Amino acid sequence: MLEIKDLHVKVKDKDILKGINLTVHPGELHAIMGRNGSGKSTLANAIAGQDSYEITSGDILFNGTSIVAESPEERALAGIFMSFQYPVIIPGVNNTYFLKAALNAKRKHQGKTELDAVEFLKLIREKLAVVEMDEKYLHRAVNDGFSGGEKKQNEILQMLTLEPALAILDETDSGLDIDALKIVAAGINNYRRDDRAIVIITHYQRILKYLEADYVHVLINGKIAKTGGENLAEQLEDKGYSWLDN
Amino acid sequence: MHYLEKELNELIQFWDEEPEALRALRSDAFKQYKEVGLPNRKWEGWQFTDFSALEKTSYRLASPGDLPPVPETLPTIANCNRILIINGHFQENLSVLSDKVTVQTLQHAYATNPEIFNKTVVNNSNPFHNLNTALMNSGLAIIVENNAVIDNPIHILYYTTGLTEPIMNHPLFLIVAGADSETTIIEHYAGTTNVQYWQNVVTYINLSDNAVLNHTRIQEEDLNGNHIADTAYSLEKDAQLNAFHFASGSSLYRQNIQVNLASSGASSTVNGLCLAKDRQHLDQQIIINHLKENCSSNQLFKYILSDSSAGVFNGRVIVSEGAQKTDAQQTIRNLLLTDKALAHSSPQLEIYADDVKCSHGSTTGQLDKNAIFYMRSRGIDVQTAQLLLISGFAKEVMETITNTNIDTYIDEKLTTWLEHIGVTP
Ligand SMILES: Nc1ncnc2c1ncn2[C@@H]1O[C@H](COP(=O)(O)OP(=O)(O)OP(=O)(O)O)[C@@H](O)[C@H]1O
Ligand SMILES: [Mg+2]
Repeated sequence: MLEIKDLHVKVKDKDILKGINLTVHPGELHAIMGRNGSGKSTLANAIAGQDSYEITSGDILFNGTSIVAESPEERALAGIFMSFQYPVIIPGVNNTYFLKAALNAKRKHQGKTELDAVEFLKLIREKLAVVEMDEKYLHRAVNDGFSGGEKKQNEILQMLTLEPALAILDETDSGLDIDALKIVAAGINNYRRDDRAIVIITHYQRILKYLEADYVHVLINGKIAKTGGENLAEQLEDKGYSWLDN
Repeated sequence: MHYLEKELNELIQFWDEEPEALRALRSDAFKQYKEVGLPNRKWEGWQFTDFSALEKTSYRLASPGDLPPVPETLPTIANCNRILIINGHFQENLSVLSDKVTVQTLQHAYATNPEIFNKTVVNNSNPFHNLNTALMNSGLAIIVENNAVIDNPIHILYYTTGLTEPIMNHPLFLIVAGADSETTIIEHYAGTTNVQYWQNVVTYINLSDNAVLNHTRIQEEDLNGNHIADTAYSLEKDAQLNAFHFASGSSLYRQNIQVNLASSGASSTVNGLCLAKDRQHLDQQIIINHLKENCSSNQLFKYILSDSSAGVFNGRVIVSEGAQKTDAQQTIRNLLLTDKALAHSSPQLEIYADDVKCSHGSTTGQLDKNAIFYMRSRGIDVQTAQLLLISGFAKEVMETITNTNIDTYIDEKLTTWLEHIGVTP
C-alpha cells in the first residue's frame, strides 16, 4: 500500500531524512520510534504533503503510484490520513462544519452523494460514541479550547469519519491520561481492518500493549536503524536508544 | 480647492430662500474650513491618508438634473422600511415611512427644530465636517418618538448612479432616538457608476435617556467613489448603542467616529468589518469619550486586506476624570491576504480616572499556513480552506449583528467579495 524508497527530505536547508525505506502492506500496523528530533514527524509530514518539507530524492508510492507531486488534498482524497502531533486550532471554523466539508469532499471524490445534515449527524454520533466524546465538541471551532487529550481524540474522530486506507498517527498517544489512552487505542482498533494500514509514531511502549504491532522501526539520524517486532519496543523502553548509535 | 468656494458662492446665492441664520452657519463653517484646509499627513490622527485625490478632480454639487431613472434593482435588505435617496435626491414617493418616526428634509427640520442643528454643526475641528456644514445639500432629520418601539429596521439607502460628470454630495443626517425608544437604523451607501464622485457625510445620532439603538452603517460605494464621513453618537443616561460599521466600497474612505458617553449608565458597542481590495484605502478613526461614571464601551474591528489595499484604524478611548467604574474594551484585528496589503492600527487609552477596567489590543496576521495545511490534509481544497479560514476570521465580529436580515445581507457581501478576490469554494 505504502512504499517509501530511499527518501531524502530537507527542511529549511537542513537534511533531516537521509534515505528512508519502508513498505507497508494492507492490514499491517507499523510503529516508528526514535529520539526527539530524529525525523519522525518529518516523515509523516512528507507523506501527507506538507510543502515546507522538501523531498530532495527518493519516492513515496501509494498503491503503486508516486504521490510526491500530489497536493495534500489529493493525497487525502486518495486515502492518506495523518493525525497531527500538534493538531491545529482553526478559529471561527465550526468542528461539525469542518468534518462535514472534509467528508463530503471525500464522498464527492468517490462519486457518492454528499450527506445532508441529518445523515451526517447520525454518522457522526456513532463515531463520537467510539471515542467517547461529547457532542458539545462538535459545536466549537476546530480544536479551539480543546485540551491536549481532547485534540487527540478529535484526530481519531476525524480518522473514523473519513475512513482512510492509510492512517499515520503522529504521537497520538502522547499526553493522554490512562483512560484517554484506552479510548484512543479503542478508536484505532475500531478503525483497523484487513484492507487498511496504520503507521503509528510513538515514544512509548504502552500504546502498543493495546495494539498489536507487526513491526517496530527505530529512526536514528534520518534513517531506519533497526526493525523488529513488539519486543524491540520493550528493549527500547529498557535500554534507550544509545545502544543503536554507531 | 477653488471649486469648493465656487460651489459655496453659487449655493448661497441660489438658495436665497434659506433662513439667514442657516446661511450664516454655512459661511462661518466655510471660513473655518479655509483656515486649515484639507488634512495632511502632518496632522495628528490623519497621518496615514492622502486626500489629494479630492483636489485632482473638480466636483460640483449634485443638482436637480442629476436624477437618473430609478434603477430597477437596488440593494435590498429584507423586512425593512426603506428610505431612498438617489444622487442626493430624497425619493419620498419610493420611501416607506414608519409610524412614530418623523422624517424631515433638512430645510424643514431647520425651520421647525433648529436646535438639533446647533448640537452638532458648530465648532468642529474636522475640516470635512465644516465643509459638510457649509455645503450640506442632502440628508434628513429622523426623529423617533419617546417610548416608540419600531419593529422594522429603517433602511436609509443613499444610492449613487447614472452620473455624467463628477459630483459631490454633502449629506447630513440628524437622528434622534427618543427616550425609552427602540429602533434599528441602517445607514447604507452604495453606488454603480463609471464617473468619480465624492460623498462627504456627517451623521449625528443622539440617544435620549434609556433609548436602545441599533445602527448599522454599510459603505459599499462604487470604487469610483470617495467616501468621507464623520459619525458622532451622543448617549444620554442608560442609553444603549449597538453599532456595526461595514465598509467594502470606495477607493478612498475615511470615517471619524466619535462616541460620547455623556451620562451615567450608557453603554456602546461599536464593531466593524472592513474589506479592502485593489488599491483601496480604508481609514477609520474612533474616539470614545467616557465622560460620566458607570458607562461601558466595546469595540471590535476586523479588517481583511487583499491586493495592494491599505487599512487604517486609529482608536482612542478617553476616560475623563470622574468617569469611575468605566469598562472599556478595544480590539482590532487585521488579516492580510497578500504581501502588498498594509495595515496600520493603533489602539490608545487615555485614562484620567482610577477605578476603571480598560483593555486594548491589536493584531495583524496572515492566513495561518498550518491551518490551511491541516484542512487540506483532510481533503479540503485550498480555495475552500482559505474561504473557511477567512469566514472564520470574520465570524467573531459578524456574530455581533443581531438582526438576521442585516446579517444575511452583509454575509452575502462577504461571500461576493471573496469571489471577487478569487476565493471561491
Ligand atoms: N519547520 C521546521 N523548521 C525548522 N526545522 C524543522 C522544522 N520541522 C522540523 N525541523 C527540524 O527537523 C528535525 C526533525 O524534526 P521532527 O519534527 O521530524 O522530529 P521528531 O522525530 O518528530 O521529534 P519529536 O519526537 O520531538 O516529535 C528537528 O531537528 C527539527 O528541529
Ligand atoms: Mg514529532
